[in-house]
Amino acid sequence: MTTRRRFLGTAMATGLWPVTGWAALGAPAYLAAAATPEGRYRLFGLSSHGTDLFDVALPGRGHAAAAHPWRAEAVAFARRPGRFALVLDCQSGQISARLDSPPNRHFYGHGAYSPDGRILYTTENDLEVGTGCIGLWDADNGYARVGEFPSGGIGPHDMATLPDGTLVIANGGIATHPESGRSKLNLPTMRPSLAYIEPDGTMQDDCVLPARWHRNSIRHLAIRPDGLVAFAMQWQGDWADNPPVFGLHRRGQAPLLAPPDTPSRQALRGYAGSIAFSGAGKHLAITSPRGNVVQIQDIAMNSHPITRIGADICGAATTDHGFMVSSGRGLITQLSTDGTERHQHHKVQWDNHLIAIT
Amino acid sequence: MMLARLAIIAALLSPSAAIALTERVIDHHILPGFSTLANATSVLRQVAEQDCRRDSTALRDAYGIAFDGWIAISHLRFGPTETNDRAYALAFWPDRKGTVGRALLRLIAARDESIEDPADFATVSVAARGFFALEQLLYDERFADPQSADYRCRLVQAIATDIAGNAEAMVREWETKQAPEMRSPGPLKTYRTDAETRSVLFNALAGGLQATSELRLGRPLGTFDRPRPRRAEAYRSGRSLAHIVVSLEATRELSLLLAEGHPDLVKAIDDAFERSLRRARRLDDPVLAGVAEPATRFRIEALRDSIDAVRRLIGQQLAAALGVTQGFNALDGD
Repeated sequence: MTTRRRFLGTAMATGLWPVTGWAALGAPAYLAAAATPEGRYRLFGLSSHGTDLFDVALPGRGHAAAAHPWRAEAVAFARRPGRFALVLDCQSGQISARLDSPPNRHFYGHGAYSPDGRILYTTENDLEVGTGCIGLWDADNGYARVGEFPSGGIGPHDMATLPDGTLVIANGGIATHPESGRSKLNLPTMRPSLAYIEPDGTMQDDCVLPARWHRNSIRHLAIRPDGLVAFAMQWQGDWADNPPVFGLHRRGQAPLLAPPDTPSRQALRGYAGSIAFSGAGKHLAITSPRGNVVQIQDIAMNSHPITRIGADICGAATTDHGFMVSSGRGLITQLSTDGTERHQHHKVQWDNHLIAIT
Repeated sequence: MMLARLAIIAALLSPSAAIALTERVIDHHILPGFSTLANATSVLRQVAEQDCRRDSTALRDAYGIAFDGWIAISHLRFGPTETNDRAYALAFWPDRKGTVGRALLRLIAARDESIEDPADFATVSVAARGFFALEQLLYDERFADPQSADYRCRLVQAIATDIAGNAEAMVREWETKQAPEMRSPGPLKTYRTDAETRSVLFNALAGGLQATSELRLGRPLGTFDRPRPRRAEAYRSGRSLAHIVVSLEATRELSLLLAEGHPDLVKAIDDAFERSLRRARRLDDPVLAGVAEPATRFRIEALRDSIDAVRRLIGQQLAAALGVTQGFNALDGD
């Protein structure tokens, strides 16, 4: 049965409806939040070369964003613990909807659209029980809240949808509560996980780390089109322990962690900010704003990574020939898999993440 | 010639001044703090050997002094405190789900024999070890059943021995490994530069103040509509406010050492801590029960505000003086 909504969605997707798509904005390739020199916060749309194509105002410091798969519409998330997220019409710069977290919930700063663009998923904290949940919002109906289900762990942070619609959730494992700020409440017992969940909330798979690394908070994700998941972690112990802070996972298998203890592992200072696959899918870029480096690692993880220094480097996304990375110092850098860099300077502080518009 | 001399003097002065700062903190704050803890916990172990009854005054006194010793260094969360989860084995808190009590009840119900051997006991869940486990055994009525008195007595001794063992191990690791590493940074070493050791010390200070504001005060304060007095740290033994005072005094000492050479900043930091300490000492509310009464709650909120003022001062001016300002994107957990 074709519902009215499905019909409208199809009509819009095929261009039969006068709706603004990303092409009308010069086909931006990335979204990134930033602080401007005046101390204001804006969301920018960037071209595939890193030039800014448009920008819209945000009411406070942003964290990440999610781009609608075909409408020129983006959701900007506040830094955790946020109580609202804004849907921005990227053509007009107007706020077209506002998401308020339900009572006893707050946002963690990330979200993702279903592949058909009809549902927006958000990672949230259920303050009543202290576990994570995923909120569902109807993107075709003014972003009404239409449901929620458990995230399969504590402290979900980044999430993504696989091409088949399965959700992948980085359950960071760290319990926090707004009453105690950003303090961590459960480090000795934390158990981060990668949860694979069906769109109806059914848990399919739950990938956990070896016990020795149970204090390694899985926080950010990158997805290769074939479903291979790369994850970035933040070690909740002394960085001098030299933990692995990134890894790869394929559903049903054990996770593959970064290669063993080396000076290059130590350069990441126990803290990965973002992770991205290269365009060809054979390499990863891992940023560390604590170590002030980005590393390029082949996905077999059997060679030494290439390390490039960059102050306050954090955002990372895929390009055709490698990666795009961003820094709190205003640099947008095109990085090829052999480590060649092309910088572009903007007069803003780029905030945490670069989000690819797919 | 003149320029060359100046360059030599500068080369001699600046790194040594920077190293001197780390040395000062290690020699005047860290090593004395860990050694005080080791001594106090060794006394606790000996007292427990002689008298392990839960209402023993000698045991409770020794417990209090040893716990103070831990709180006074509990902000130094790097290196030896993190090896083998020692910090959590000493202090499992916050305990959101009553894990400590349940872990103890399990040991007691099973009359678990791992208490007979320190090496075995060191593998028991961190929740059943350390100061918070001992607190429940000494102060919580759930652990007063005469039928299990004999086992609980040996459990108290096992916990005291484990605490003392961890304290001793931390002193050893500080003396043989951590202090030497921090005293001599280098390109191929754990700490590459003085700036890095300074930032480790600064982060420890900032983390300690954050814990006092957000956990020791924020947890019991909850919200105005829903205060949570039973979330105060170590309320069973009546030590919640005392921990705040001990930790403020210790973090003041560290701050002042880090600020040395900046007289105005030293004065500002000292004054700011003094305001917090005065507020804390005037509270006269050992377990922060006042969070639940509007008339007294505002005084506890004011204490937290004054600690947050210290945090801002440290985060801005001391960080700048030390050259450890954090990047826009390097904040924890983003």
